[in-house]
Amino acid sequence: MKLWYSFTKELKLASRSFYFYIELFFAIIILVVVLFAIPENFSNSTTEYLYLDMPVENAAAFEARLLDEDSDNTADKMEIKIKKELIPVTYYETEDRKIYLVESEDDLVKLADNKKQLGAVIKVDMSVSPPVTSYKYYLQGYETDRLKNLYKVIHNSNLATLEAAVEDQEVRSLSTEYTVLSDREHTIPSLLTFNGSLMGMFIIAAYIFLDKEQGIIKAYAVTASSVWQYLMSKTLVITVTSIVTTAIIIIPVMGGKPDYLLMLLFLITTGFFASGIGLLISAYFRSMAKAFNAIYVLMVAMMLPAIAYFIPGWEPFWIKLLPAYYIIQGFSEIIVKGGNAGYVLLLSLGFLAAGSVLFIWATAKHKKSLTA
Amino acid sequence: MIKVKNLYHSYSKDDKYAVKDASFEVEKGEIFGFLGPSGAGKSTTQGVLTGLLQLQKGEVTVAGYDAKKFSKKMFNDIGMSFEQSNVYNKMTAKENLAFYAKLFDVETKDPQELLELVGLGDKANLKAGDFSKGMKHRLTFARSMINNPKLWFLDEPTTGLDPAIAATIKDIIWNEKKNGVTTFLTTHNMFIADELCDRVAFIVDGEIKLIDSPRNLKLQYGAKFVDIEYIKDNDSARESLSTVEAKDRNRIKELLDTYEIQTMHTKEATLEEIFIKVTGRGLV
Ligand SMILES: Nc1ncnc2c1ncn2[C@@H]1O[C@H](COP(=O)(O)OP(=O)(O)O)[C@@H](O)[C@H]1O
Ligand SMILES: [Mg+2]
Repeated sequence: MKLWYSFTKELKLASRSFYFYIELFFAIIILVVVLFAIPENFSNSTTEYLYLDMPVENAAAFEARLLDEDSDNTADKMEIKIKKELIPVTYYETEDRKIYLVESEDDLVKLADNKKQLGAVIKVDMSVSPPVTSYKYYLQGYETDRLKNLYKVIHNSNLATLEAAVEDQEVRSLSTEYTVLSDREHTIPSLLTFNGSLMGMFIIAAYIFLDKEQGIIKAYAVTASSVWQYLMSKTLVITVTSIVTTAIIIIPVMGGKPDYLLMLLFLITTGFFASGIGLLISAYFRSMAKAFNAIYVLMVAMMLPAIAYFIPGWEPFWIKLLPAYYIIQGFSEIIVKGGNAGYVLLLSLGFLAAGSVLFIWATAKHKKSLTA
Repeated sequence: MIKVKNLYHSYSKDDKYAVKDASFEVEKGEIFGFLGPSGAGKSTTQGVLTGLLQLQKGEVTVAGYDAKKFSKKMFNDIGMSFEQSNVYNKMTAKENLAFYAKLFDVETKDPQELLELVGLGDKANLKAGDFSKGMKHRLTFARSMINNPKLWFLDEPTTGLDPAIAATIKDIIWNEKKNGVTTFLTTHNMFIADELCDRVAFIVDGEIKLIDSPRNLKLQYGAKFVDIEYIKDNDSARESLSTVEAKDRNRIKELLDTYEIQTMHTKEATLEEIFIKVTGRGLV
């Protein structure tokens, strides 16, 4: 009951505070940027890895055509280094495509997987008459239907073969069995992580430092109410705010696509975890200014996985040690249709457990230092 | 109600003690005053008694609870008014009290009535952030009464208030005593201490120098003071001297022998003069 009163009071206070409007403001900024500044898909210039599974004379004809389209009419022989292995390729660059021809399907899979780009096998089967051309694509999972259709059209000049080719299509995702996200939607998970967790961590600390400055915590300490209730009421306010701001962003951009129940659960558990970090900061430092270095380091640690998320192929192993990596992963699974709900539940459980440890730790520390 | 034995407290956790070897007891129903200059260790002692500061060394019992394991429950019977007002600036005076009331499990007072008691009745719906320092102080004071405390801690309850309001506060404290409330108050205002307290402790540099009732102190020192006005370097000077202490007696002789005396009369010592005599320090 006291928790409820504290919570409603904190909510009232938050609605009168500057930070609350900062959060709303940020959410709206993010929404505007996502809707108006980020294109549905970034560009049509794509990189693709091709393997020509066909008799030499057919391949030669194909290469001649590529050479024709190449901007400087030369084929560059080069080697691409993947995990200490050199893979020989021939490089063509046309107006809207960068094409690497590789020498085996094995090499193709390695490259496509590692560079997070499209790979395709073009196969001409000479054993039947007339010979049949088929295409096998290796996709990453986030390509759109539009992009896929584009490939179909590019490789099939006349409509008759196009239809046949579509029938023949074999699409296989390299990562998981994702359905598709547009480039715009692809930016959402890391933005939600920034909006929810990063802001939550920062703002709960700010709220408590503000209370410390006003001496309010001392007044709280001489009541029949406990420190954990005080801290929990702040955590609840942060969680409610993050649910509101997430809704502001996600509903206009994603509509009915995400699993909102799962989203709610994940927002609550990650919010609890991030608040725990904020509470700990506010327990160990006397003021916002003194805590600045710690907050700065934590912010960078939160941002790095988001950056890695946008740079395909840059994913050092230690990124996976940062919780923010998993927050982003979780949001991805939630907003993608047919995402892995089990994985999200597992992550939620993890964040709940870690959040509880942080909360208990922060409460114990606050009890000793709130009033000193 | 309060028992303190050999209490020490150091903020730096070394031997720089803000409170040094303090021992005293406060009886149920009495108003006990901690009188001393600023920085003497009054608030620190009160901090330990209310659990705001962790007990480091010594034995402390408050309302039957050992300070080593204070329970949240005990605060239902305790009120605490802070030296520095600490109210929610973003809430109105009434909201501040109404919310605070919810943090206790016992019957609480009506916020509006409390505000009227301290003369803030017509300011109930103003944000505390817009209050003057004195008004905030009164709000903090009023808040400490919300749960009908049986043990009441008041840290400098009248400091910074104008005399009329200070008199109101004094009356409120006096009234609560009649209701059986035990009060521990700190002050560097000797009039408050003199008029309100059943007993006072003189504290200087973290050490308690003496504990007695103002009445006893005055009997002991009363009418044994002389106020001497004399001419020194063509200017009039004035000194209050004890007629019992050897040092002062010598000084009286010296004044009589050396200077031209203008006036000279005996009088009852004020608590402040007694404080200076006992501790060798002023109250400021
Ligand atoms: N939070 C604190 N940290 C370090 N020293 C403090 C703190 N509060 C008070 N002190 C020091 O402890 C001594 C006693 O202070 P205090 O108990 O506030 O005195 P009083 O209430 O009698 O004016 C002073 O020397 C003061 O500077
Ligand atoms: Mg003080």
